[in-house]
Amino acid sequence: MHKKTLSLVIIALLGLIATITVYFRTDYAETLAVITQIKTSAPVSEKDQYDNRDQQLTQTGTLKLLNTKKSGQTFAFTNNYDRSQLVNQHFYKHQRVFVQVTDQKATIDNAKRDWVLVLAGTILFLLIVQVLNQKSYLVILSLLFNMIIFGMTIRLDIWRNGTNPILIYSLAAIIFAVGSFLIFQGWHLKMAVMLLSTISALLLAFTLSYGIMALTKEKGITYMAVAYATQSPRSLFLGQTLLGVLGAVMDESTDIVTSLNELLEQQPTVSAQQLWQSGLAIGREIMGPLINVLFLIFMADALPMTILYLRDNNAINYTFTYTLSLGVIQSLISAIGIVLTVPIATLTSLILRRKQVQL
Amino acid sequence: MSSLSALLLTLLVLICLVGGTAGLKSYLSIIINFLLIFFVALLISWGANIWFTIVCFVPLKLLTIIYLGTHDTKIADRAFISSLIVTGLIAIVILGLDYSAQAIGVGDQTGEDLIGMSTAPGLNYGAIGILVALFSTLGAISEAAVAMSTGLIELKKQNKELSQAAYWQSAQNIGQDILGTAINTILFGFFGSCLALFIWFTRLHYTLSQIANDKLFVQEALIIVDSIIGVLLIVPLATWVVNRGSKKN
Repeated sequence: MHKKTLSLVIIALLGLIATITVYFRTDYAETLAVITQIKTSAPVSEKDQYDNRDQQLTQTGTLKLLNTKKSGQTFAFTNNYDRSQLVNQHFYKHQRVFVQVTDQKATIDNAKRDWVLVLAGTILFLLIVQVLNQKSYLVILSLLFNMIIFGMTIRLDIWRNGTNPILIYSLAAIIFAVGSFLIFQGWHLKMAVMLLSTISALLLAFTLSYGIMALTKEKGITYMAVAYATQSPRSLFLGQTLLGVLGAVMDESTDIVTSLNELLEQQPTVSAQQLWQSGLAIGREIMGPLINVLFLIFMADALPMTILYLRDNNAINYTFTYTLSLGVIQSLISAIGIVLTVPIATLTSLILRRKQVQL
Repeated sequence: MSSLSALLLTLLVLICLVGGTAGLKSYLSIIINFLLIFFVALLISWGANIWFTIVCFVPLKLLTIIYLGTHDTKIADRAFISSLIVTGLIAIVILGLDYSAQAIGVGDQTGEDLIGMSTAPGLNYGAIGILVALFSTLGAISEAAVAMSTGLIELKKQNKELSQAAYWQSAQNIGQDILGTAINTILFGFFGSCLALFIWFTRLHYTLSQIANDKLFVQEALIIVDSIIGVLLIVPLATWVVNRGSKKN
């Protein structure tokens, strides 16, 4: 108990030091400055072609450069922003910002935000250790492993320039699944069953969804609406969908296989029929909430643009097509995967039963 | 028939085959959830107060997710209370981190998509950011709350004479099992949601510090952290709520 308190105090201290260090860090390739004086003018009303009423504000002030050769020099700046802060933003005194300077004037490019990530990471780390105790290193290990593989997958995708997305992301999915199961479960039969269930469920769900999309000739799928596309949006969409559902299918396979394994250990004579019923009963309870987890993640992301489209008097149909429809299709394919995992995880658990019977 | 309706129909058939009436209820909960999200977008675009919308719709969404997805009302009650408390706590975390990060509105990467759109729509995008963060975390929080409450109520049922110390110890074990997998669900959900953005960063050779200061990246990263903090908080909160509830009985 004391050991845990000690590690929490150490993490908190280190996190705090890291946050402060990153906050005061100045060695960037970009020019960094701190706002020394700022004044905001009275708002001016504005109205656009969609009859949206907003207010424009102008901030004037001075900032002091913190790096480059001109470090220590003071420059004047002006910042215009709208009350909405959709594409521009308000700044405040003492805020650290990245700027571009010409002879006399400075223009603010971006706010400095990296220290907030360190702060958030510290809070997260503290909570992981507090709640998970001895198991916290597993979660941290798996978070790191997954981020590294994710980075490598992206490099691979760029190297192949978006061709063969199904191959690349299926391969990535298998590596993710093997790694995560190894970290959390270790290498034994139960883990192999979870892995088999995860991969077969993904395979079946995607063959089915892909088949349906091909049959309907991908009618109504607006790949144009894929956000931030720097390559074939269709390949991006397939990759996103495969990765997005993977965690949920692993989660579900773990739950079902673990529970059925427990059941088998308590009553080794349980019939295949009973096992099937139990598997479905467990799956039924978890599939709804799981679908909602992914659904909310995919939908919430598109909400700012959806609101903007609607605000600019676009028809509901048009708005849906260009903002939400891809998220909905991604959610539906994910949901099909989550539902199919229930019978597949139960069926693969029968392997465990055979082992028990032989004993 | 469009691909969307074909997929919608396939899901309906599959979910009914696998889940029966319970499956149908889950299907309904997804549809209602979608309608609620769309309705929120409509309300805000009509000029409804965003803070008020948050206060009304966040509990409403928790209600629909938990009560339509869970068939034991006792579990649902406990899960609802604990997820409501955690959502309140998470709201404080989100407000604090979002205020510090000043990552409001859309990123520079959105540029092309904004052509022809209003850039001064008269909406408080700071508040919309809070709404997006809260909505993103809701699903994970309620899923963990249901899983936790189910395990704990089962524990209490099987062992009525359980001491307080033993109860909290078992609760922690249950929590550890749930968390390992729940965190994966969240992480991969976001991988799937931000893949295009990360490819963008890599392709355009963003440096690490450029990424770490980028508005859009910071928004997304904070939402992932918020969601994981949310499910972590569910473990002690649900343990407390179930314990309190069974004492009363």
